[in-house]
Amino acid sequence: MNAQRWPALAALLFVGLGLLITSPKPAPLAIVAAAQASFPSPTGMVIGPPSQRNASYSIDVRLDPDKRSLKGREVLTWRNIANVTTSELQFHLYYNAWKNTRSTWMREQLMGRRSSLHERPADDWGWIEVTAVRLLGTENTPPIDLIAGAHHIALDDGNAHDETVLAVPLPYPVEPGDVVNVEFEWTSRVPRTFARTGTIGNYFLLAQWFPKIGVLEDTGWNCHQFHAATEFFADYGTYDVRMTVPTDWIVGATGVERQVTDNGDGTTTHHYYQEDVHDFAWTVSPDFIDVRKQFKHPVLPDVQIRVLLQPEHVGQAVRHVAATRTTLKYFGEWFGAYPYDHVTVVDPAWQSRTGGMEYPTFFTAGTRWLAPRDVPDPEDVTIHEAGHQFWYGAVGNNEFEYAWLDEGLNTFASVRALDLSFSPHYRSTRFFGGFIPWVFRDIPWSRSVDGNRVGGYRRSNARQDPQITPTYRYWPGTAGSITYNKTALWLHTLERHLGWATLQRGMAAFYEAWRFNHPKPDDFFEAINTSAGTDLGWFFDQVHGTSKVFDYGIDQITSRPLTTRGYTDVDGNKPVFSDVRSDATYETTVVVRRLGDGVFPVDILTHFKDGMSEREQWDGVADWKAFTYMRSERATQAFVDPEHVLLLDTHRTNNSRTIKSRTGQAATKWMLTWIVWLQDLLLTYGFFV
Amino acid sequence: MTRGFLDGIGRVIAAPTLILGLYAVTLLTAAPLGVLIRDAVATHLDSSAAADTVASGVGWEWWEEFQAQADGIATTLEPRIIGFAAVLTNLSGIADYRLPHWTVLLAIAGYIVVWLFLIGGVIDRLARQHRVTSSGFFAACGTYFLRFIRLAVLAFTTYWLLFQVIHGWVFDELYGHLTQNLTVERTAFFIRIGLYGLFGLMVIAVNLVFDYAKIRAVVEDRRSMLGALIAAFRFVRRRPTSTFGLYFINGGFFAGVLIGYAIVTPSPTGSDLAVWAAFLVGQAYILARLFTKLVFYASQTAYFQSQLAHALYVATPVRRWPESPVAEAISESRT
Repeated sequence: MNAQRWPALAALLFVGLGLLITSPKPAPLAIVAAAQASFPSPTGMVIGPPSQRNASYSIDVRLDPDKRSLKGREVLTWRNIANVTTSELQFHLYYNAWKNTRSTWMREQLMGRRSSLHERPADDWGWIEVTAVRLLGTENTPPIDLIAGAHHIALDDGNAHDETVLAVPLPYPVEPGDVVNVEFEWTSRVPRTFARTGTIGNYFLLAQWFPKIGVLEDTGWNCHQFHAATEFFADYGTYDVRMTVPTDWIVGATGVERQVTDNGDGTTTHHYYQEDVHDFAWTVSPDFIDVRKQFKHPVLPDVQIRVLLQPEHVGQAVRHVAATRTTLKYFGEWFGAYPYDHVTVVDPAWQSRTGGMEYPTFFTAGTRWLAPRDVPDPEDVTIHEAGHQFWYGAVGNNEFEYAWLDEGLNTFASVRALDLSFSPHYRSTRFFGGFIPWVFRDIPWSRSVDGNRVGGYRRSNARQDPQITPTYRYWPGTAGSITYNKTALWLHTLERHLGWATLQRGMAAFYEAWRFNHPKPDDFFEAINTSAGTDLGWFFDQVHGTSKVFDYGIDQITSRPLTTRGYTDVDGNKPVFSDVRSDATYETTVVVRRLGDGVFPVDILTHFKDGMSEREQWDGVADWKAFTYMRSERATQAFVDPEHVLLLDTHRTNNSRTIKSRTGQAATKWMLTWIVWLQDLLLTYGFFV
Repeated sequence: MTRGFLDGIGRVIAAPTLILGLYAVTLLTAAPLGVLIRDAVATHLDSSAAADTVASGVGWEWWEEFQAQADGIATTLEPRIIGFAAVLTNLSGIADYRLPHWTVLLAIAGYIVVWLFLIGGVIDRLARQHRVTSSGFFAACGTYFLRFIRLAVLAFTTYWLLFQVIHGWVFDELYGHLTQNLTVERTAFFIRIGLYGLFGLMVIAVNLVFDYAKIRAVVEDRRSMLGALIAAFRFVRRRPTSTFGLYFINGGFFAGVLIGYAIVTPSPTGSDLAVWAAFLVGQAYILARLFTKLVFYASQTAYFQSQLAHALYVATPVRRWPESPVAEAISESRT
């Protein structure tokens, strides 16, 4: 054979083998067309769906409550909306976080909180096992089995024991705009809740329960392992889900129920459907009490509120409804309308540990059997989780990397709504095993302190991590404080600095621009800058980009008769020694100090005995600054940041000084109160003598 | 039972000096530590204008900041000490076996030692039903102090077993087991109430026996505390209805005092006048609690004496301070 022909033959052979090995790209299924369908707007214009709908699921799942197992089959229709080609798909298998103590989630929990989770009995653990993965073709093209190549990856920390991400190599690359249909079959064991999802008794809260595709970005797959300090991130799509459960059990889920089919074998299949969401969660229990109410508003669209209550909390239905209405009203007015026409509130079973979690059109609240009316529980949780329908649900940021963008914004906004709707209410504590509530009617709930969770921020050590650190890399023990508390504090600071109208306008613009999309921190900063008409980078760089702390204080205040002692020139003669004291003029000096490394412009307000005051503005940059006044009266008090604009300054006591302090009275008061407590304690222990 | 209770009330009313003396001990134990709290508050407030808010209200923003930097005994200054919450904090702490801060525990230990010294004189006075001189009172205290220290070792061991072992078993193991799969908080609440009752009965039974051991030690001048304890146990075992019944009547009286305080507790968060009013009402409550505690002893002593042949029997004459041999010789030579 002519040697010159070899390269051509080899090329032919390579192509031929390639054709044998590489399957042809199948045509997309019909569901894609449905998912991408256009629809007419109220004005008659044909517009596209509100979201990209590039990750749509059709799922059939059967729950066996006795075995605590799920057996499911799903067909994912995924469209590549990134600008890169991919040769594999990556999926979250969240349930494997609770497979054993060697998962990344468990390791981080144990590291951060010294939790006793690792002592859980055998029955408590859960997992998900994918039994089949197939790439579907058209009717004429057989499915391609992908299970052999599927393997777990742990790109965040290299933990070989972590099985929360599954990589599935594809037989051919998927180009931008291409669509693939992947079929999964899986079984899973529902855990006794470790976090957010699981079961207790005959109550099931099923979240992150199915193989869920990650997000392909221009930089590659964004499909993090499940971490202790993070939540979730997914593309928007349509969920068409059929859940088979014991007959007569009550189901609540993301979306609306389209059909209920009695299978005649003691089971019933509930069919739920929802477009333009990025997750699907459901709950089932025979014990729920189903309450339905309507949200109506002069401008905002109607929303049906469904509350699935525990029987022992039936009297609290009105509180959940009121709190949900509050959120829909205020968030709708402030940021933009709630984009769905229904929402389901789940009152979780006691000890289920599934309370306070958000899922699209569906969230879990949380309450107690004894819940005093003048304490904002369950309202605070309900408002917060309902608020997530806006920040997380509609605006779908990456919670693995910038959880503050939904948790922080939502904390800030939800406590604002709580403050407006449910004041006054009070702090409380619980006694006797945590069952008996006690309300401190001397201590009203405070938005700036309690709402912003200042205490947690202080305790967590603000320097632990800069907020810019990807959330999954936060120290697990303080991640919550950096995510929730710090953001609420700096947003509240911005509210006071810029004014609510400016901040609200910026947040509304951000909501409008990023609804059904995945914003990043810079998108939020840009929206606020635009609204403020100024570059607030100096602020965002500090609160987001660093872990600087803010602390301004009045270092000293002195107010004395004006004196001049020493040599002075008199009419051009030799300097003459004089010692002059003027009782008509007082020289007041106020020294302000920057004690933290954060910089923020602050006002300094000095009060004088005649009721007059002086206000100064200081850029707050230098380490200290002195202000001197010559007035006919002594000064009485001086404040730095008197309106407490800078809520990040958590050392508030040093922000003022007085010439004549009431410290003695204040200290005596708490001494007397404390003495009575100690006397009672002595007598309580005296019982044993 | 009721007669014993009423008799006990009468005996305590007839001994106001006892109440005032014990009140002084309680106040003098608490006040020095209160000064430390005052210093901690004053140091933190310095000359801040926040003192205005704290003086005229709660000043929660300041308090929250104070708590974050507090250490040592100052960490105990928290909202749970306000008004009737203070009582619930302490009762709940015992019921759930949460020990207070170690500095406070030291104060409690010292207070208990003082009580151990005084209790002999207290029971002696209540048993005699007539005035004794202060020297007689303290002589009785001294006589029984070492005996009650020995008894306290037995009591401490028993209570330690109860709280360290049985409490953990009841409220961690048993309660955990019973409620492990419960999804209804109300049910768990009633289970816990039941377990409080069960554990409370055990504590009461032990307390009752040790009460009668002390009473028998004084009234019968027993030297062996083990013997007194066994005798007390026999006494209670033979009269369970009366002894427990009397205890529960006293318990009801105590509950009444608590309820009364819960109703009248003023807020200490207003003006100076309100602060002092709250303190004075608090002191009245402390006096009422001391009264209740003495009624426990007095009524049980009365009941025990009523069960003897002679209702007012006390084995020994009124105690005197021991004199030196020289002084006794001089005294005898004069007579």
